[in-house]
Amino acid sequence: MSASSSQALEYLELLPRQTHTKLYEQPSTVLAIFRCMLPHLAKSLVMAMLYMPSSLSAQDLDTWFRPTARSDKDKSISILEQLHIVVLKQDASRQNSYELSKGFARALRQALEGSGSHRSFGVPSSETDPDKVTVAFLDEFAQGQWENILFYMVGSTVGLSSSNALGRDVGEGTKALLRLGEFVKSTHARVSITRAGFTFVLQETSAQVWSLLIVYLKHADQLGMSETDVLSFLFMLGSLELGQDYTISTLSATQLQMLEDLYAFGIIYRSNEKAKTFYPTRLAVTLTSDAGMLSTSSTLRNKAISNEVSHRSAPNTGFIIVETNYRLYAYTDSLLQISILSLFTKLTTRFPNLVSGKLTKESITRAVKLGISSAQILSYLTSHAHPQMQKNNPYLPPTVMDQIRLWEYEGERVETTNGFLMKDFPSDAEYRDLAAYAESLGVLIWRNDARRMCFVDRVDQISSYLKKKSQK
Amino acid sequence: MVKAVRGTLVKCDASIKAMLVDIDSSLRNEFIIEELDEEHVLVKETKIAELKQRLQTMLKERLKEPDTSDSET
Repeated sequence: MSASSSQALEYLELLPRQTHTKLYEQPSTVLAIFRCMLPHLAKSLVMAMLYMPSSLSAQDLDTWFRPTARSDKDKSISILEQLHIVVLKQDASRQNSYELSKGFARALRQALEGSGSHRSFGVPSSETDPDKVTVAFLDEFAQGQWENILFYMVGSTVGLSSSNALGRDVGEGTKALLRLGEFVKSTHARVSITRAGFTFVLQETSAQVWSLLIVYLKHADQLGMSETDVLSFLFMLGSLELGQDYTISTLSATQLQMLEDLYAFGIIYRSNEKAKTFYPTRLAVTLTSDAGMLSTSSTLRNKAISNEVSHRSAPNTGFIIVETNYRLYAYTDSLLQISILSLFTKLTTRFPNLVSGKLTKESITRAVKLGISSAQILSYLTSHAHPQMQKNNPYLPPTVMDQIRLWEYEGERVETTNGFLMKDFPSDAEYRDLAAYAESLGVLIWRNDARRMCFVDRVDQISSYLKKKSQK
Repeated sequence: MVKAVRGTLVKCDASIKAMLVDIDSSLRNEFIIEELDEEHVLVKETKIAELKQRLQTMLKERLKEPDTSDSET
């Protein structure tokens, strides 16, 4: 499971059972969740139970696992339970058994067998579009829209250009959404980026798309849209084919309303507002997979250059060189890349195809204050390292890496975690049992055996575990 | 009966912890719920931002920053 879909998974887990049940009516949604949200072990469990005629007793399930793998099993089962994919049942003789939720099982079978007439995988347009667009055009469009959004966030903070020229290509709806998600805040008509915004900008494109869409989902109710419809549409987009046009006649009212917003993000393309068809772009079809993302190191070129035939650099070509004396050279003419670099570098010189500068204590601590972590800076530098640098192992000079971490540590002396302190356990055995359970779920942050206390960052499952135990 | 107390776990060195306790006691114990061990304290979730702010100010007062002007820029 990748970083991008784990965000979506976190969001999904918090949804109530009714929403899950409604979502699972659509085979495309079920297949998307199965394909990219579940950890591999959970997938195996679902697959094993899919065609099982009766429920699976908890004891039988335990025999499938080595005793050493208990924590893996608990984690998978707990995710499946949170998503209401697997239901725990208790029969008259107090035997626990697991069963797949009926709706989920039915929809997944339909998706696998291609049965039923649900049309949830989109319906290709029957008429041929006279202005059919190419895949290359779609890529260009998606990239342009998305980089405009990023540049809108970063550019004004760095003060590269005047703020009115910046937001020109970004729609009002998108701007409002960025504010709602607290990625940017505006003071005195000037937009500046926030801590969450930085994390956003430094992520991979697929993770960025999900972050923005999750904000969109959270505010769907206020816009008078049904959250379930929005989610099913997104999952459907993930299963469409790039370069094919799809008819809008099968979409619900909410989904028609979404088309305009998704166009603004560059996730779908429509030739005009009244068009009866839409094209998914690469951003859409990669929502539920990680293959073939738009390369992040591509270009938001200056106007003069963008009019030429765009020659795109091959994906994953790095352009940053860092020397042991903290000097940094970046072979780029992209304003977006330059503004990102200037968030944590003291840039001094700019040439037509190169900027140079230096990583200083001042520039790093400024970045840390704005909310960028040293790990984010290092991962950005590493993932965009110049091929020449990639011959070294590690790519960046170790002294520079250590120094950046030390600079951050000086500014940030405490580490905080929100959560719950569990205390007043009646017996040592009970304390140890709960601590072990919390550890196997991966929510245990701190424990002190002598004082019988532990700290967890999520409590809902712990409390249901305690309740279950007290009933016995 | 097991109790769950909502709060923010703060992990820091012993020296920083001493300062946090200092700030807390000088301001009517508004911040800290419980001291857990040498390196951990539990703080009220709503107060954590203010506590961090006060810690920064205190650090600035107590620690002299070494001169960091670069000779070559």
